[in-house]
Amino acid sequence: MIEFNTVSKQYPTGQLALYNVNVELQQGEMAFLTGHSGAGKSTLLKLIALLDTPSAGEVIVAGQNTQKIKLRKIPAFRRNIGMIFQDHHLLADRTVFDNIALPLKIEGMRPQDINRRVRAALDKVNLLSKEKQYPQMLSAGEKQRIGIARAVVNKPAIILADEPTGNLDPDLATDIMHTFKQFNDYGSTVLIASHDHALIKEMKKRIIVLRKVKT
Amino acid sequence: MGAKYNQSGSLISTQIGHHKEAISYSLRRLWQSNLSTWITLAVIGIALCLPSSLYLLLQNLKSLTDDKREVPTISLFIKQNISEQQARDRGDLIQELSQIDKVVLVPRDEALEDFRKITGFAETLETLDENPLPHVLVVTPHIDLIANPTDDMQKLADKLESYPEIDLVQMDLEWVSRLRSILRISERAIFIISGLLALTVLLVIGNTIKLNIENRKEEIEVSKLIGASASYIRRPFLYTGIWYGLFGGVISLVLVHLALISFVAPVNELAKLYGSTFIISGLSLSTTLYILLASSALGLIGAWIAVGRHLRDASIAS
Repeated sequence: MIEFNTVSKQYPTGQLALYNVNVELQQGEMAFLTGHSGAGKSTLLKLIALLDTPSAGEVIVAGQNTQKIKLRKIPAFRRNIGMIFQDHHLLADRTVFDNIALPLKIEGMRPQDINRRVRAALDKVNLLSKEKQYPQMLSAGEKQRIGIARAVVNKPAIILADEPTGNLDPDLATDIMHTFKQFNDYGSTVLIASHDHALIKEMKKRIIVLRKVKT
Repeated sequence: MGAKYNQSGSLISTQIGHHKEAISYSLRRLWQSNLSTWITLAVIGIALCLPSSLYLLLQNLKSLTDDKREVPTISLFIKQNISEQQARDRGDLIQELSQIDKVVLVPRDEALEDFRKITGFAETLETLDENPLPHVLVVTPHIDLIANPTDDMQKLADKLESYPEIDLVQMDLEWVSRLRSILRISERAIFIISGLLALTVLLVIGNTIKLNIENRKEEIEVSKLIGASASYIRRPFLYTGIWYGLFGGVISLVLVHLALISFVAPVNELAKLYGSTFIISGLSLSTTLYILLASSALGLIGAWIAVGRHLRDASIAS
């Protein structure tokens, strides 16, 4: 599903974020991406979602070489990837419902289908009662779960998460990780960047370690 | 993973849905916005009302000179020693000229009679031994000659003056020609002023949309992250630009009509003093629609420029 072949990424500032990365994720696999801060975890995720392009090598997602995807086709490509961030990236001026509905509206789904899908996603993260609230009324854990609901509402084939539990206390973090496992059980390919070693060991999934590039 | 099928059916209905969403969203934003939005709309309205009202003024002055009932004439005063029959013959010859619409002879006796009736100088006139008034040929040129006065007008006057029977040529239509040329200059001035004010509106709307984009930067970024296309992100801003132009246009029309109402009574009074039936005319339906269309187009163009420049700045690293 996701394949990195001798991928390197150097930023215009000269900083080498990734060097000669070779990794492959099967469809339906769940894996953790770990390594020291600055090892290039975020960069690797960005390359998958086409938020950035590699300096060398190729990134193949769902059989497509990402560098050959036309600029015009990138939005459609991204709709197949659900992304979750450490800071949840929710829109403060919209209700929980409208935040989650955004990807579906972008796809042009009918309102009655949107209603159904948003409620289903809220149900999966156990926040059905909060649909009319605004993000600032929610706790950190709830916000993160709303972010997850938004990422999965359009049933993406791939779910990427960048430090999704970074701001949460251990109980909540475990809870979030189990939510991801649930989506993996439904068939999504899941890749989570995290430096919380204790937590990811507990999950008993494949762990990919990025070593810091020697400069 | 290939193309995913959504449940909305065809691409066209998706597009219509997106437009509906952008329209309602942008209108809601405008409605919920603060005082500065209203000030912006007022600025646009005032800027647009200047060219509209100048245009209206010009139209009215033009209609004053177009008035067919008061077609201006040339009066030819016949020399004293010429008989009425000779004058009539000359009148018939002038009638043949291509520039001439109509020639009417006013014989001196008739003129004296009219003069007596009008002025009430009857007793004074009785004291005169003979009729001091000459025969007069009242010549009406063709309307297109008046409408487009050039050197032809002067040539016609010179030609008429050269006839041996003619003593004096008096053109009542000189003022029309002068007013016409003044109007033509004014037209150009209005054109330039309109252009500058249109540019102002364009800049105001462009700047407003730019601020709008900056305020919504987070939303734009998130939308891009979850796969919104460029046109999806652009659309609400373009509609916002159209609303600014359209509502600014509506405000300008209201202002112009208020000004117009205040003019009606004094203009009628003035017209009555001049014995004219002139009535001030408002903006026609087509002009009204044209103004609204033009202002909306200005809004769209202003928004388009701002969106083109600033959405790229707001884009995430790619």
